[in-house]
Amino acid sequence: MYSFDWAVFWKYLWPVTALQDPLIRSGLIVTVAVSIIAQLLGVILGLFAALGKMSKIGPLKVLAEAYIWYFRGTPLLVQMMLLFFGLGVTHIYNFPDIHLGAIMISGAIQAGTLALAINEGAYMAEIVRAGIEAIDPGQLEAAKSLGMPYSLSMRRIILPQAAKVIIPPLGNEFNNMMKTTSIMTVISAAELFFAFTQVNARLFQPFELFIAASFYYLALTTIWSFVQSWIESSLGERKSVVHTPGFLQRVFTFKGVH
Amino acid sequence: MTVSLIAPPTTVIDDDVIVKFDHVNKFYGSMHVLNDICLEVKKNEALVIIGPSGSGKSTLLRSINHLEKINSGHIYVNGRMIGYYEKNGRLYEDNEKNIAVQRASIGMVFQRFNLFPHLTAIENIMEAPLNVLKLSRENATAEAERLLQRVGLSEKRDSYPNQLSGGQQQRIAIARALAMKPGLMLFDEPTSALDPEMIGEVLDVMKELAHEMTMIVVSHEMGFARAVADRMIFVDEGRIIEYSTPEELYTHPREARTKEFLSKILH
Repeated sequence: MYSFDWAVFWKYLWPVTALQDPLIRSGLIVTVAVSIIAQLLGVILGLFAALGKMSKIGPLKVLAEAYIWYFRGTPLLVQMMLLFFGLGVTHIYNFPDIHLGAIMISGAIQAGTLALAINEGAYMAEIVRAGIEAIDPGQLEAAKSLGMPYSLSMRRIILPQAAKVIIPPLGNEFNNMMKTTSIMTVISAAELFFAFTQVNARLFQPFELFIAASFYYLALTTIWSFVQSWIESSLGERKSVVHTPGFLQRVFTFKGVH
Repeated sequence: MTVSLIAPPTTVIDDDVIVKFDHVNKFYGSMHVLNDICLEVKKNEALVIIGPSGSGKSTLLRSINHLEKINSGHIYVNGRMIGYYEKNGRLYEDNEKNIAVQRASIGMVFQRFNLFPHLTAIENIMEAPLNVLKLSRENATAEAERLLQRVGLSEKRDSYPNQLSGGQQQRIAIARALAMKPGLMLFDEPTSALDPEMIGEVLDVMKELAHEMTMIVVSHEMGFARAVADRMIFVDEGRIIEYSTPEELYTHPREARTKEFLSKILH
């Protein structure tokens, strides 16, 4: 019979005590920071890939399609290993550790963030494209007829409307992103899950520690779902002034309010 | 398909001609949507186009600001070819930027309004003057307020399109097009998506614009055509079947097809 070590469990579950461990503390910061940066880069990459895919310029279209095809068609784990170890061993590119004052960003964290961003970009491309295609073609015609060139029409007319369509699935992508950062453990990037494996290497209490670790991810995704519903309902408010959701509805509505 | 290889002059000789179609053809697959269209519209003239659905009347209108491509022939607006340039006797599609510059001086009003739903009424009107004409915010606002007053919707200044009735939306759409100070306005069935009681308010705004600028209107509103149109054309199967004054067209149509069509729309 396995004896569950409640002391270790509570110590690593309860944030006040767990965050006293510098491994866990920096791991949590890295996970949050990497998630945000990789998601932002992913959105930018996805936007350009989507515009490329819809472009009338042949080479641009082919490039965007190849990118989406490859990065959606291969495992993130393989992409990350290839980017970090593959480029490293061939000396094509070695990610150097970067020192920013007291903060050190390891090569593994950079490579991991980049791999997450590139992978995410391929998924975001499809979301952005669907968002743009959801807009009535009459909108682009109206913009054109006012003498607005394509890039201006996109920026001022199409993308602000597409954003409302893109934001709900984007929120789900970010939820996924926070959990997927744990894959960076395979290249020894010191994020949250890697920190727990390090503690486990010392204590060998995988059951207790990994349950505790799972709760940290659950906390992150739960906090995010509140933020997401707040963003979505405030978008909904701007669209129609008549409908104003109350506080409870705002907090407990997980789907977009239209 | 006939492709015109003879280079016509790049400027139309008659300064009074705002729009000129010169043997224009367009195909959707095997369908001949525009069949050898030749047409001239003079400055401050009001032209009303009628024809059965699928006759090519909307395509004809939309090709004037190059929302539709053509397969052969030439379309000139203000003496300049639109959408294409000519090199060694062949036509090439113009770049996006040049087309945009030409479109800026052509107003267009759509059947389904196409107001920008994320912008208020006044923002809809100011959008292009601010970002295309690069007017200052003060000037753009003053002009937009003047236009709101002109279409009788000053009190709807800060309303979003979904808070406006169809007729109000279309009047804002007209104000939005006028904000670019176009010499030419295109109306693509501007009242067909409206409830009957709202048609009048939109037509009233249009009537006031007539003869202040050149207007080309696709519409079956007979009262409007009689009051405003200098010329009318009846289009069927991609051809201009009849070209005359509203009085003649409605009372003494020459062609059998025109008679048949009029008998359907005039009950």
